[in-house]
Amino acid sequence: MGRRRGRRRTRTRRRLPSRSSGSPKQGRLEKEYEMVLKRTLQSICILTIHPNTTTSVIVQVVHDDGALLPCAINASCAALVDAGIPLKHLAVAICCCLADSGLVMLDPTKLEEEKMKAFVYLVLPNSILSVLPEESSSVKGEQMEQGLITSVTHGVMSVDDYLHCLERGRAATSKMSDFLRRNLQPQLSSDSSKAG
Amino acid sequence: MENKPSSFVDRPVVPGDVVLDLSKMSNQTIKIGGGLRQESDFITVMKAGKLRFSKPNKYWVESSQKRYMPCVEDTVLGIVVDTKAENFLVDIKGPALAFLPVLAFEGGTRRNIPKFEQGTLLYARVAKANPGTNPELSCTDASGKAAEFGPLKDGYSFECSTGLSRMLLSSPTCPVLEEFGKKLSFEIAAGLNGRVWVNAASPSTTIVVSNAIMKSESLSGVQQRIMVRKLLDRIQ
Repeated sequence: MGRRRGRRRTRTRRRLPSRSSGSPKQGRLEKEYEMVLKRTLQSICILTIHPNTTTSVIVQVVHDDGALLPCAINASCAALVDAGIPLKHLAVAICCCLADSGLVMLDPTKLEEEKMKAFVYLVLPNSILSVLPEESSSVKGEQMEQGLITSVTHGVMSVDDYLHCLERGRAATSKMSDFLRRNLQPQLSSDSSKAG
Repeated sequence: MENKPSSFVDRPVVPGDVVLDLSKMSNQTIKIGGGLRQESDFITVMKAGKLRFSKPNKYWVESSQKRYMPCVEDTVLGIVVDTKAENFLVDIKGPALAFLPVLAFEGGTRRNIPKFEQGTLLYARVAKANPGTNPELSCTDASGKAAEFGPLKDGYSFECSTGLSRMLLSSPTCPVLEEFGKKLSFEIAAGLNGRVWVNAASPSTTIVVSNAIMKSESLSGVQQRIMVRKLLDRIQ
């Protein structure tokens, strides 16, 4: 559950989950997630539009069943869109984990995440509709859809496995992009309205 | 010289979508409204909403938020927070409190300054709105006449999103209000800042109209009419 409040200096504060025992190790993990979340959101917000204002994002963990950071990133991105903060594009996050047999599994539960030999959290930009024809976007070099915003790995994996995970993650995020596109629309009736 | 509007007009868009390619449209002036931004040669979307186009050359994204950004010539409902020597401080759900000069009323002179208590609901017009400063309001229209601006007495006010208040102000009349208008008599004032005021002769009418308006945001025209007819059957 993410909520965006206030217009003060840019800062991210993250509340510890309600079942926190306060052990130092748990605090370190939360701090790392907070830093990654803050940098990811900073890269998608257009910071030059409202100078001298804070955007405060508060994430409350209700239940953690694996892939906590991707879930927090998806929720924060949806909260920013709902609040009307100007964004360059959306951030879609997914967790890919690597089993011993080399299989890539997406969106694991907490037990699966603990048993896997490695996993990676990937945050990719959403797939965009464009009036530009395909050729002109590839002329520029890097296409938008080939970008990668954030990648956090845990465990040991080979380079080929990582690229494999990246490919699977990209396929999954394009489906999630479509889902986001359908659901982020304000559901107003499409009557003619006055300009404004 | 191309003069076709973008193919995404009236379609839902999300941040990141590229809606116009300026290199294809030389010799044209385009006006970009809220929710769009120019990135070298293209126009991209910043906010999720519906892309709108109005002839000859205006593009903007219509989106609905809970918070309001003050804009000149918007009619808003404000609540008086404080009174100073020169201005009333009015809360219009924006980032800063708005100033309403004590003389900004029809026939306003130093001798007949209106006395507004804290909590008075006012229907006013935004006269000045700049990004860093407090917006200024006025209770007269551009020519100096009162034109229905001023304090609103009795009734019930509630908050809603900016999209819903735009729908209530749209012409032709939005289905909820039209259906209610056939059977009940009430008056409403909708501010573009997401505040609505409803007043009727009896409290039950006020309650039923307010609740129906709050529920009608996500319904289509037909669904709104069905909901209103069901409510009217129940109370009559």
